[in-house]
Amino acid sequence: MSIKYESQKIAQYFYTFAVILFLVQVLVGIIAALQFMWPDFFFLNFNTIRTLHINALVVWLLVGLMGATYYVIPEESETELWSVPLALLQFWATVVAVTAVVLGYIWMGFSPQANSLVLGTQLLNEGREYIEAPRWADILIVISVLLFLFNCFMTVLKTKKWTGIQGTLLGGLLFLALMYLPGMAYTKNMIKDQWWWWWVIHLWVEGTWEVIAGALLAFMLMKVTGAKREVLEKWMYIEVGLVLFTGILGTGHHYYWIGTPGYWLWIGGIFSSLEPVPLLVMVWDAFRTTREHRVSANRPGQYYAVAHAIFNFVGAGLWGVVHTLPQVNKWTHGTQITTAHGHLAFYGAYVLLVLAMIYVTLPAIRGVKSFNESRSFQSFWWMTISMVFIVLTITGAGMVQTYMERLMGLDYVAVKANYNLWFWILRAIFGVGFLIGVWIFVVDYFKLGKEPQRAVSAAPERA
Amino acid sequence: MSNKAARNLFIFGSIFFFVIFLALTYDTMSQVEKRAPEITEGVNAGKMVWHKYDCIGCHTIFGNGSYFAPDMTKIVEKKPKGYLKQFLMDPKAVNPNASMPTLGISASEADEMITFLDWISKVDTNGWPPKPILAVASGVAGKELTPGEKVYRAQNCSGCHSISGIGGTSGPALNHVGSKREKTWLIGHFKDPKAFVPNSAMPPFGHLSEKDLNDLADYMVSLK
Repeated sequence: MSIKYESQKIAQYFYTFAVILFLVQVLVGIIAALQFMWPDFFFLNFNTIRTLHINALVVWLLVGLMGATYYVIPEESETELWSVPLALLQFWATVVAVTAVVLGYIWMGFSPQANSLVLGTQLLNEGREYIEAPRWADILIVISVLLFLFNCFMTVLKTKKWTGIQGTLLGGLLFLALMYLPGMAYTKNMIKDQWWWWWVIHLWVEGTWEVIAGALLAFMLMKVTGAKREVLEKWMYIEVGLVLFTGILGTGHHYYWIGTPGYWLWIGGIFSSLEPVPLLVMVWDAFRTTREHRVSANRPGQYYAVAHAIFNFVGAGLWGVVHTLPQVNKWTHGTQITTAHGHLAFYGAYVLLVLAMIYVTLPAIRGVKSFNESRSFQSFWWMTISMVFIVLTITGAGMVQTYMERLMGLDYVAVKANYNLWFWILRAIFGVGFLIGVWIFVVDYFKLGKEPQRAVSAAPERA
Repeated sequence: MSNKAARNLFIFGSIFFFVIFLALTYDTMSQVEKRAPEITEGVNAGKMVWHKYDCIGCHTIFGNGSYFAPDMTKIVEKKPKGYLKQFLMDPKAVNPNASMPTLGISASEADEMITFLDWISKVDTNGWPPKPILAVASGVAGKELTPGEKVYRAQNCSGCHSISGIGGTSGPALNHVGSKREKTWLIGHFKDPKAFVPNSAMPPFGHLSEKDLNDLADYMVSLK
């Protein structure tokens, strides 16, 4: 295995940054889990730790997807990337901007008053969940994404080979960039504030990101099984089509209780109940393709890709649909049930997606035919089993909370501190299990293809 | 289906649903102003304080946020404003067991925040958060029973009827009875159910005093 175009190597910069942020994300995640038991456990308060946990996640997934795209575009266009220096500039600008934002969060953690108003916006933290990054960082993020998209489109224009996979991938990325904009303006009305905020959050993770996932899944299945492009692309169109047909109006499941009109209970309930359908088609697609083509060019890559399809359906689909109907959501909304869904959905839909892309493309980037596969499977099982148990403990906590706080009327703090204590303890323990898995993956990432090959696999190469 | 047909279905189908979403966005934006009180400068100042201290990093509002600390949607209905102000400025001085750190919120910022949270509590949220059904049914949701509720219990009305899901299913649920029936209809119906609902199997309660019937009807009218 080797790359066809030298510029595909640029992907590695993005992967490395993503992998480091993944480790940071899980480390602060464990601090957050301990703060559920001891709120004063760390020198930074929970709000700062949680902001770091989630921002690190979003950034490393986006950076990982950018790296994967830089790998896919030259291959699909059959030409070198339009500009490698521009891609490098965009990479380092992203690293600098992200570092500055993180330092700002930590500064504010030490001194809340430092988050002062400058030109009408908050200097360090906008205080809006997930998109806390201040306005100056928003602008830098938009510039970085625009440079990235420009570079990709110019590459495609060199040969004008518009394959379905890269068209869908770039279309998804363009829509992703556009959907960041509704979250940038300030509005005095909290109802409207949440309205536009959900455009960003929902239309990213249940819209454009799933479109990108559909395109990358097709690419990976084609690479590891050698399946026919025509068949994969047809099913990809059906999958991403269904994602948007259900997902766009499915945004309505966030508009039940924020002050918006009652018809959203109907629209949100009906369309979001259908959101698991395309995810199930993806699972079927992955199974069918891997069964029909029993030869695998890259076992870990195939393993992670199929696992991504399965846990995308279970985490984003099943764990979402159980509390999406307004009759149920009225009681579960704002409880730990949502946290459980969030964890399994992000792990299945996007963490495994980026890791799968790394395993599918990295051996070629490093120019190795085969590599030591055992660590990739070890890390998979450590992470997956730990995450399943993390999710089960949080689901249990959410059920107890829904019953005791929402139905019985016990105080929030009493339920959290007393009745859910065991769930927090177990969650932290499984969190350490997850960290072990991540550590094995990080070691594997840095060592892959750089160790001496075993004689068996090396011999035919010499001959 | 050919690849081209699948691609066109994806592109034009997505545009179709996005256009519907835009139209609904326009409609919703024209309605939300009416679903909440007017936004004064004080409300906006409070919202800025809410963002400044990253309150969403621990709390939820309209149920959205970090699930680490209580929801703030109806907090001004639950706690006295004087308590909230003191707590915001120095949580552990008010309650040594509180998890909330002292953030340096000033007295004027606390007032603005409470103005904002007061506005939030008056937003029409389609009935969220729901009242905890068991606490309401057992009358321990922080309030003394009204005279009408006492009659409702003494006569064991919940043997057949339910309110917020608690009670029997032999008779109709009374959740919204107040928006369907007038007080005079209700009192007449208590005295002689069959005269108002021909096939009613409910026993007449004409033996109750006029005051009890009146209190019970007041309670029913309050269920909307």
